[in-house]
Amino acid sequence: MTALPDKQAHIGQSKRRQNALRHLAGRGRFVTDIVLPRMVHAAFVRSPLAHGRIVGLDIEAASRAPGVTRVFTAADLNPSCEPWTGTLDHFARMTSIAQNILADGVVLWAGQPVVMIIARSRAEAEDACELVVLDIEDDEPVVDGTLALQADAAIAAPGLSGNLCFGTVLETAGVDRAFAEAAHVVEAEFVFGRHTAVTLEPRAIVADFDPSTGQLTVHQGTQTPYQFQDVYARHFRLNEGQVRVIAPDVGGSFGMKLHVYHEEMGAVAASKLLGRPVRFVADRLESFLSDIHARDHKVKARMAASADGRITAMEVDDLTQIGAFSCYPRTSVVEGNQVIRLMGAPYAMPDYRGKLSVVFQNKVQTSQYRAVGHPIACAVTEVLVDRAAEALGLDPLDMRARNVVADSAYPHVSATGYQFEKLSHEACLTRLRDMMDYEVLRAEQAALRKKGVYRGIGIAPFVEITNPGAAFYGVGGARISAQDGAIVKLTPAGDVQCMISVTEQGQGTETIIAQVVADQLGVEPDRVKVITGDTDTTPSGGATWACRGAGIGGETALRAGRKLRDQILALAGQILQADPDGLALSNGSVVDASTGAPRMPLAEIGRIATYRPDTLPRGCDNSLTAVHHFAPGGYPFDFTNGVQASYVEVDVETGMVKLLKHWVVEDCGRIINPLLVDEQIRGGVVQGLGAAFFEECLYDDAGQLTNGSLADYLVPMAGEMPDIEIAHVETPTLDTILGAKGVGEAGTAAAGAAAMNAVNDALRPFAAGISQTPMTPVRILQALGHV
Amino acid sequence: MELEGSEMLTASPEQVWQALFDRSVLERAIPGCETLEQTSATEFSAVVKLKVGPVSARFKGDVELSDIEPFVACTLSGKGSGGIAGFAKGSARVTLTPQGDVTLLTYRADAAVGGKLAALGSRLIKSTAQKLAGEFFANFKAVLSAGAGTEAGPTHEDTGATEQAGSVS
Repeated sequence: MTALPDKQAHIGQSKRRQNALRHLAGRGRFVTDIVLPRMVHAAFVRSPLAHGRIVGLDIEAASRAPGVTRVFTAADLNPSCEPWTGTLDHFARMTSIAQNILADGVVLWAGQPVVMIIARSRAEAEDACELVVLDIEDDEPVVDGTLALQADAAIAAPGLSGNLCFGTVLETAGVDRAFAEAAHVVEAEFVFGRHTAVTLEPRAIVADFDPSTGQLTVHQGTQTPYQFQDVYARHFRLNEGQVRVIAPDVGGSFGMKLHVYHEEMGAVAASKLLGRPVRFVADRLESFLSDIHARDHKVKARMAASADGRITAMEVDDLTQIGAFSCYPRTSVVEGNQVIRLMGAPYAMPDYRGKLSVVFQNKVQTSQYRAVGHPIACAVTEVLVDRAAEALGLDPLDMRARNVVADSAYPHVSATGYQFEKLSHEACLTRLRDMMDYEVLRAEQAALRKKGVYRGIGIAPFVEITNPGAAFYGVGGARISAQDGAIVKLTPAGDVQCMISVTEQGQGTETIIAQVVADQLGVEPDRVKVITGDTDTTPSGGATWACRGAGIGGETALRAGRKLRDQILALAGQILQADPDGLALSNGSVVDASTGAPRMPLAEIGRIATYRPDTLPRGCDNSLTAVHHFAPGGYPFDFTNGVQASYVEVDVETGMVKLLKHWVVEDCGRIINPLLVDEQIRGGVVQGLGAAFFEECLYDDAGQLTNGSLADYLVPMAGEMPDIEIAHVETPTLDTILGAKGVGEAGTAAAGAAAMNAVNDALRPFAAGISQTPMTPVRILQALGHV
Repeated sequence: MELEGSEMLTASPEQVWQALFDRSVLERAIPGCETLEQTSATEFSAVVKLKVGPVSARFKGDVELSDIEPFVACTLSGKGSGGIAGFAKGSARVTLTPQGDVTLLTYRADAAVGGKLAALGSRLIKSTAQKLAGEFFANFKAVLSAGAGTEAGPTHEDTGATEQAGSVS
């Protein structure tokens, strides 16, 4: 398998998103734009308490409210649905309670749906919700992970013997000796706040069951229609062939729209029972209350270093605080599992111990959100590397250069068992130093310190998991695909269509697939229509998660495109009486491979094959449709790498931080579309900075979310963001022809770590440090001892 | 959330005490109160319309009196459900101290809210509660002085011996 030559007509070009124009023209078609005959609307009565027993429920007045079609309780809906449990086999001894649509007897988190009201309009449904009388006797809620693991702790859910969802330890044989022999041991305790996705478009679903055909059609803002086709078929006892899931335009997801939610299952159940379309759209408060939350870790960590400045070991204890049950079907454990396995990843660190405890809380469920686990592992690692550098009297950038795995030292296996094919940490660090003008910044910092202006520089090398294989979910028994399929066809007039199983949420998937296919068939990308997101019209595959669209989707499209190319050339060979090996595709025509002279336009091939197959030689295959499925092989993941740097100024009187500049050097293998790659990196950085400085879901001691609106939950805004300068190193993976790896989560993986190091660097003259996110002004002032 | 305060009331502790547990006085004093019923010697149930920031709701609540030291102090505990707006619960210790001609009423309250009220109104809860407390006492004082000199409530022993002459009939 030969790698792609570097110069391609379309792969590697910065093309704008093809569908951006449509959105700018106001012609987006989201789930909320879908209006179906006899469609009704759903609203939910939610538990106001975090933990308790339902002792009274009166839906009588609500049932008679104007516009109400039906009022459902657990007794009505739950029997129609197979319960779901968010555990996977490869997380040994993992436990979680089974879930069903509406709360049945007990409530386990504030916001849990108890009653579902179906009405002619959402407003009427909400008015009816006000008439429901729900009486709950409260029980003690579990709101702190550390306390939850104590012997006398209240238990978060009935049926559990304790609050530990999953625990594991991984360690190398020499870790204790490494610490005993270390010249320096630095340590820190971290708290990473809980936060949430805040997508522009909230969760939305229209479930449409047609009793006359037994067909369920679900329009859903999801990243993964195939997973939901499987979920709805199994849990609602339908044949898979009777279930169609369509993801239309999706306004942002970041992982949040991968997971199974009670409300969406409720919409499907209600539609099945009523025989009419049921629509549910989360409003912003519901989004804060019931979307999956992310992060929420307490981490204790230490790092050992030798006298000559080498990192010899790390020891980490991660407490991940989840909801009252593990999320389905991807679990709430993957985040913490990646945290402990990504520690120290950029470094040639031989020894390690990582302990993970995933603990239930009476709060909303948590699960995969952009950069799953990476920001935590990167921040913990890089804060300790800075502290080690300080103990050793080394410059932080020199400390990294001294310790990253050498570019010549691959393949390499980390102390946590991750296999790296080939990374470029040294090249990225060198590039970063140049881009930043590092020495100039240090001089500037020193000069300004004398004037009482406190600036800081933070560095954070990182790796990122992309292109995952079946080792991720499949081996654990999950029906989540890690392969993709593409159908590529030439239309009778010579245009191209590609139906593929990767999906689009605004990152440009459809655009890059068009570029890849265009290159295989010698056409312009705007003549390639890419169709995604419909289980009826595309092959089944993994869709979008863990940065797989470019690397795996792109490879699938490439190989399917080449299959079609070969078919076209074989057919052209028959028509032209020429050897197909001497032909090629270019500029919309079959051409002579050596001279480039046009022989026959694709439109002519299409015409003959479609309308005049009678003119073809007997036995000639006239098909102009090719299909190919691609499953990643070789390495279990394609790791990418990079380094980020942050330059900040901290006002030590107010605790406010000004973000002056941010740099990213990223190696994501072959770049299909530099514009879209850089936009993904920038968006990822902004989300990483959001978690580092602004975003936190704040719960009180009673398990109440206290900041469920955009007035109180701070999202990063454009005016607060620094310029983000990006450069690339390209180390293609040899596992595929395309050589592309993923990049969607890279920005988020290390932005917060770089920022935390920058803030701590700014505070260095005060011997103060912060190791909690978000780094709010109050917390910075507390670190300074000013409050 | 904790709330405390004090009010000077131009009445004797006995008069204040009677008024405080008079159903008709409370119904007029509690801001947004739509109905108030006395369900036992020490229990009331009420329906109150409240707005905290963007969340407005009709609360159905129960209040219970306990630790009663007649004319001196007592504890009021209650909880109200606002349907999908959420709930509020809390308790308050109310103490009456005579100071010459007037009575000093001090209160110390502890409250928690949940549901939509907490999610959307947390920032505003304390200031809203203080505002409501202020409104309550303004109303209470007005009712007290309107009935100044008259005995408050059907449960009181005296029956009008001090009724003001010249009051409008």
